[in-house]
Amino acid sequence: MAGLTEDHPQIGIDDIIDGSEQKLNEDIVERESGGGAREMAPPAGNSIHRSGSRPQLDLSKAAIQGNFEERDPTILLPNQSDDISHLALDIGGSLIKLIYFSRHEDRSVKDRRKKFLEEKIGVSNGIRRSYPILGGRLHFVKFETAKINECLDFISSKQLHRGGMDAHDWNSDAPDNENAVIKATGGGAHKFADLFKERLGVSIEKEDEMNCLVAGANFLLKAIRHEAFTHMEGQKEFVQIDQNDLFPYLLVNIGSGVSMIKVDGDGKFQRVSGTNVGGGTYWGLGKLLTKCKSFDELLELSQRGDNRTIDMLVGDIYGGMDYSKIGLSASTIASSFGKAISENKNLEDYRPEDISLSLLRMISYNIGQISYLNALRFGLKRIFFGGFFIRGHAYTMDTISFAVHFWSKGDAQAMFLRHEGFLGALGAFMSYEKHGLDDLMVHHLVERFPMGAPYTGGKIHGPPLGDLNEKISWMAKFVQKGTEITGPVPMASPRTTGLGGFEVPSSKGATLRSDASNLNVGVLHLVPTLEVFPLLADPKIYEPNTIDLAEQGELQYWFTVLSEHLPDLVDKAVASEGGTDDAKRRGDAFARAFSAHLARLMEEPAAYGKLGLANLLELREECLREFQFIDAYRSIKQRENEASLAVLPDLLMELDGMNEETRLLTLIEGVLAANIFDWGSRACVELYHKGTIIEIYRMSRNKMQRPWRVDDFDVFKERMLGSGDEKPHPHKRALLFVDNSGADVVLGMLPLARELLRRGTEVVLVANSLPALNDVTAMELPDIVAEAAKHCDILRRAAEAGGLLVDAMINSQDVNKENSSSVPLMVVENGCGSPCIDLRQVSSELAAAAKDADLVILEGMGRALHTNFNAQFKCDALKLAMVKNQRLAEKLIKGYIYDCVCRYEPASS
Amino acid sequence: MECGMRGQLEERESKIMSPNQSTAEVSHLAVDIGGSLIKVVYSSSNNNNEADDKGKKSSNDCVGIPNGSSDYPVLCGRLHFAKFETSKINDCLEFISSKQLHQCADWHHEASSHDKNIIKATGGGAYKFADLFKEKLGVSLDKVDEMDCLVAGSNFLLKTVHPEAFTYIDGREEYVQIDHNDLYPYLLVNIGSGVSMIKVDGDGKFERVSGTSVGGGTFWGLGKLLTKCKSFDELLELSQKGNNRVIDMLVGDIYGGVDCPKIGLSSTAIASSFGKAISENKELEDYRPEDISRSLLRLISNNIGQISYLNALRFGLNRIFFGGFFIRGHAYTMDTISVAVHFWSKGEAKAMFLRHEGFLGALGAFTSFESHGLNDITTH
Repeated sequence: MAGLTEDHPQIGIDDIIDGSEQKLNEDIVERESGGGAREMAPPAGNSIHRSGSRPQLDLSKAAIQGNFEERDPTILLPNQSDDISHLALDIGGSLIKLIYFSRHEDRSVKDRRKKFLEEKIGVSNGIRRSYPILGGRLHFVKFETAKINECLDFISSKQLHRGGMDAHDWNSDAPDNENAVIKATGGGAHKFADLFKERLGVSIEKEDEMNCLVAGANFLLKAIRHEAFTHMEGQKEFVQIDQNDLFPYLLVNIGSGVSMIKVDGDGKFQRVSGTNVGGGTYWGLGKLLTKCKSFDELLELSQRGDNRTIDMLVGDIYGGMDYSKIGLSASTIASSFGKAISENKNLEDYRPEDISLSLLRMISYNIGQISYLNALRFGLKRIFFGGFFIRGHAYTMDTISFAVHFWSKGDAQAMFLRHEGFLGALGAFMSYEKHGLDDLMVHHLVERFPMGAPYTGGKIHGPPLGDLNEKISWMAKFVQKGTEITGPVPMASPRTTGLGGFEVPSSKGATLRSDASNLNVGVLHLVPTLEVFPLLADPKIYEPNTIDLAEQGELQYWFTVLSEHLPDLVDKAVASEGGTDDAKRRGDAFARAFSAHLARLMEEPAAYGKLGLANLLELREECLREFQFIDAYRSIKQRENEASLAVLPDLLMELDGMNEETRLLTLIEGVLAANIFDWGSRACVELYHKGTIIEIYRMSRNKMQRPWRVDDFDVFKERMLGSGDEKPHPHKRALLFVDNSGADVVLGMLPLARELLRRGTEVVLVANSLPALNDVTAMELPDIVAEAAKHCDILRRAAEAGGLLVDAMINSQDVNKENSSSVPLMVVENGCGSPCIDLRQVSSELAAAAKDADLVILEGMGRALHTNFNAQFKCDALKLAMVKNQRLAEKLIKGYIYDCVCRYEPASS
Repeated sequence: MECGMRGQLEERESKIMSPNQSTAEVSHLAVDIGGSLIKVVYSSSNNNNEADDKGKKSSNDCVGIPNGSSDYPVLCGRLHFAKFETSKINDCLEFISSKQLHQCADWHHEASSHDKNIIKATGGGAYKFADLFKEKLGVSLDKVDEMDCLVAGSNFLLKTVHPEAFTYIDGREEYVQIDHNDLYPYLLVNIGSGVSMIKVDGDGKFERVSGTSVGGGTFWGLGKLLTKCKSFDELLELSQKGNNRVIDMLVGDIYGGVDCPKIGLSSTAIASSFGKAISENKELEDYRPEDISRSLLRLISNNIGQISYLNALRFGLNRIFFGGFFIRGHAYTMDTISVAVHFWSKGEAKAMFLRHEGFLGALGAFTSFESHGLNDITTH
């Protein structure tokens, strides 16, 4: 605890400490002594919470305890339960929507490398704001209002009303909920206030419904990249909305009733219209007519319905003819339920399916029509539909879109929101004085899709999965129940039959649950330290994914690849955790969960937003982490690193015997050849069984016959070596995005880095923050470099200068003095845990390191081909990879497997 | 007058057809065959010679033509209105047959040969049932466009019949004097099985600007499923005795009985039609048919009122005339529509109703006879 008595370096927050330091220390002592052995609590003796490169807490009124040099700083949140907004509710007539916030559990250690980086390149842990944003996760959950007790139980079990379990723990001595307040909106906020007081002892603070809706919609539209989408004739298309061109728009919230709101800006809006024919009408009338037990059941029925048995169509009146003069096709509905009058039939004689569909269409179309008329009135081109009526239901969205399209003659556009049901709850969350969402930008948010309700938000109510164990059991149960989760079957898209008409939607399967075609709502990770990579030529047009999975064949291919690779991955993952029974159980659950994700996406590629290969690969890694497989390839990576390091001295000696020009070519060849070691590639995994690492490497290098399939080597060489007597100035700093562990980094990228260092270029090795396949991580790299440096002076001096060598780190200031003559070799984390990289969301330390860089080298399939192959940079860029996939080779470079890519693009000055 | 015209709406046949008038005394006939109802308009053949006092007296409630002022003496008589359910089209055919209405042209040699063996017909059924008419009655249906007819009928009524248009507010009908020179443009909302909204700019000048499938057919169809009522009228009757609060979710239900003044909604405003049917453990049988009918009527009337107003607004039309069989002079329907228009327009637009609301199309078809002789008729 020594550090706690030292000075408190204060982070840049205006109103930092309102209590005395002494008081703060007491709080901590109290906590330390009283703190239970909670799972998330750091090891005893350490102080409260380590600050990683990502601040994970609401830092308002926080102070850093201890100092940077000697101890992991701890962040104290003295008024934490007051300051952190943890829970907000939207209690509607039929559903309760709940949003709660949890802190990141990330406890990445602030190691020497990071401390050095802070000083060297000015990374300041992302705490640069005068008012910090919250780092953590936003969870979205739904309950039926009729089952409000489930909601209360959920809140109570998670202690959300006390500011979450953490808060309770932190303030264990605090009087319980004396002034605890929960922000809530929706009609039920009034109605159930007493119940909340009684059951949870908290007061409900009612927030204006419209305010909340608008605040929620504005937040989503500004902060989430693929939030809005159009839905025409079964086709979803995500719409990128320019933040500067968002307003004005019409927001149509379809709850029990319908509100139409013209939004002109943040907090600037007007309810211009509405209709009493909404979700409640559908459900209410539907319940009376069909005896369905739930809204979802009713919706599900509609998928097998044929409204022509009940609706009177223009064709029915006109004897099958169109009424073309006024633009009505024979299939246009002339009168909803109009056929129910003319025949001698009773309610029992109609299929509930048909009734449900007829009702759904009537209400959806009506809402679309009234919305358009209101949009027209105010000259609004964009109409966003939200609220729980829609539920991602294809027919509903199509009908609304069709109505808007039809009446506006294509002039106005109906759009939908992925978080459609949560607008109000989000808005209520944002009504906390310090909700921390103000300044969030698109790049600060990462959405993840953990398996299992209610975190997915896809189900109305699922088991509140308290821990991993429950989740595993739940996964097992779900799979046993059959296809419910692994194979949801969305209905085939309804097609229009011309003017005003719809064909009957057909369903591909009878087991469909109505929310199966829903878009999933993930957990929103708020990572304030993420930044846009500053060297992107134009972040606005940057698209990380090279492969568009919207193409069905492409999707099918990659799903097959990933599925086939799965058993091997599970084996490795289980082995990495010691092969225990527990690990096996988790491995099974992981396999189920990931298969379920794949099945889900196969049926509904847009279920999690716009889908690219990078998302898919990252999903797999996240899924592994979800089942606590920290690093499935740990032992493989270690083994390969050792084997490669053993042969490195020989390689370096060989290289040093060459002239400059040969050496440069050999180095690039080496990078390409070493890139063959890739556990992410099926072809390469097979190779591993045929020879030793060095054998494969030599074989691979011998295949390096130029010209490569993409070969800009000569241009690169000229930039590096010049031509004739003209010696070009060396690059100031190069960012090397490394790929795999073992030979790839040790025999490929390190020698290249060494060459650059020798030429006076600072080198920053950019590696993953979290493990992904056998990719080397930023945590592992310093040890690898240190080992390599034992046999190479260039590397040793540079590594010392870059703070990578333990011995040199006794005093960082000395390091700087001693090594001022040598250019440093540094390591930064890239902020992600995927085999690919989305350069719109990188760590702040990478962003900082990039500021002085004038050369970017991307290596490996994931980062140079699957993503970023077409990325343009402000500086020189070299993309190096061996294509270890036949399909990709054909698609991307019209070549073959094991072809090489050496793509060099000088800075676009 | 009231009993004259209104009474006919309740009867299958016109009361005005006096027994002493022979069946032969029928001239032009027009039908409007809609999805639910067939409307028939025909003129009786009181010719000049037979014109008696009674005929002259009744010229106020029927369309009469002063003696000698017309080239078409056949029309110096009365217009009759009748309706049938479309599903019982045979009744209609029998009716026409019994009256020998279709032979009108043969009986009056003065009539244009163009009108021979022809019945003017509009509505979708004019296409659907053309063969049936040919087969059963041996007459051709001369199909006239539905919208043309609606507009012609409405223009005719608004210009000719006084008083035709009225507002309905708080249970009071108030007739509106329409200045002929200031009639156009207006929005004509014809509520049949479905709803058509037509912007009328003059005689024969109009555009169908909108419509909705939620109309009279929806009321009747849904109502039939929900209440087992045997007829539209029975359903309407029920609604008079109903209380929609039992089924509709009101603003007050959501907000615990308080208004939501910020968005201008009173606690008694309907937040969600049928919204209460979801939250209680009740089945269809637990609700009174009266209440259901009332909720349904309000849902549909309100919706039509709203969409009509929005369309009127779009084209800057201050007057909206509602016609069609859905209304049927039904006070509560008219009231709801009026309230909806008043509410959404903040009092700027007025809903008006037509006394001959159900017969616009048929009348229009009738006026499409080249020699219908109604061209120059004015309210006098």
